Amino acid sequence: MKLYLYGIINSSDQIKESIYGLEGSGVYNIPLCDIGAVVSEISQPIRGVTKGAVLEHEAVVEKLMENFTILPVRFQTIIDGRDNLLSMMQSYYKDFKDNLERLHNKLEFGIKVIWPADKVKENIIKALKKGGQRMPESDSSVSKRFIKEKFEKYEIDKEFEAKADRFIKVMDIFFSKFAAEKKLGKLKTENLLLDAVYLVEKDRQNDFREAFEHIKNAHTGLKYLFSGPWPPYNFVVLSKKSGLLRDSEQADLFDKVTQCQTLVGADSI
Amino acid sequence: MIASGIVETDSPEEFIEEIEKSQDVLPRKIDANPKNVEKGLAKLVLTLIELIRKLLEKQAMRRVEAGSLSEDEIERVGETLIKLENKMNELKQIFGLKDEELNLNLGPLGELM
Repeated sequence: MKLYLYGIINSSDQIKESIYGLEGSGVYNIPLCDIGAVVSEISQPIRGVTKGAVLEHEAVVEKLMENFTILPVRFQTIIDGRDNLLSMMQSYYKDFKDNLERLHNKLEFGIKVIWPADKVKENIIKALKKGGQRMPESDSSVSKRFIKEKFEKYEIDKEFEAKADRFIKVMDIFFSKFAAEKKLGKLKTENLLLDAVYLVEKDRQNDFREAFEHIKNAHTGLKYLFSGPWPPYNFVVLSKKSGLLRDSEQADLFDKVTQCQTLVGADSI
Repeated sequence: MIASGIVETDSPEEFIEEIEKSQDVLPRKIDANPKNVEKGLAKLVLTLIELIRKLLEKQAMRRVEAGSLSEDEIERVGETLIKLENKMNELKQIFGLKDEELNLNLGPLGELM
């Protein structure tokens, strides 16, 4: 039996609400010790990425987010049977626990900012020209002209990056006041100045939102995209050691997990 | 059941375009299957050569900026960089590769170049 995995939650209890996932199958929790893997059964592999299926996946994760701390997993994560799922959970148990504690009561928000790259570059070129030539024009052999062109481009690119850094710093200082963690993506394209995700405590989400509105009103020449709240897709961190535990560590962890399973009666589910 | 996270923007088309663009330039893996293994391998090798070429070029620009190159040295560096660039263009043409294809996604580390 194939199991479609939505996420790992901080509870070994069965889900009380009726939640339906992909293929309309009921969603349930497979416990391990004090955590659980939320799954639904799936009869055939999902072919391709469809908008409907992605939204169904996301809706289940968001529904779970209302009552649990969840480590969302990537769309189309399918595990071959309960034994394999439990084995995976045993290997990653410590990582899952650490992440669940770290991400408890926290939500993810996305902020993207577009700036007018052409205009920014135009202004840089004007300013550089005003500042004067930094390479001599005389004795222009082919090689020297080549270096001169490359150097001009290098100076423009350098100033472009520096300007982007300055803009991002100003915005980030403001957002970071209300965020626990962040990941900043700079200039993924020339126009996409900032592609950031912030991890925000649930009770600070309104402050974070206000900070965004403030920045938006302060820098009107830019274009903004605000999204969230999302499950913390970008903040689940699995350590490199996961799944590669030494035999002794594996045995130790397995003992602990077995004890937990007995305590919560997971074997009988 | 409907997802409830919101997406707010005054310029949806522009963001879609930029996001698509940012994904286009970041191939997640080298496409090396039996039919085009030669091209896949060439792409990997040329990506690494291009990275080294760009590093050399950047280093040269830093030295020009610092004023630590004599006129003769600028001449020689220029000649070397022209030859390197021409050779790369030749190789790209042979294997039918474009500039934007010579990049690699290094997962959490971001793109190679």
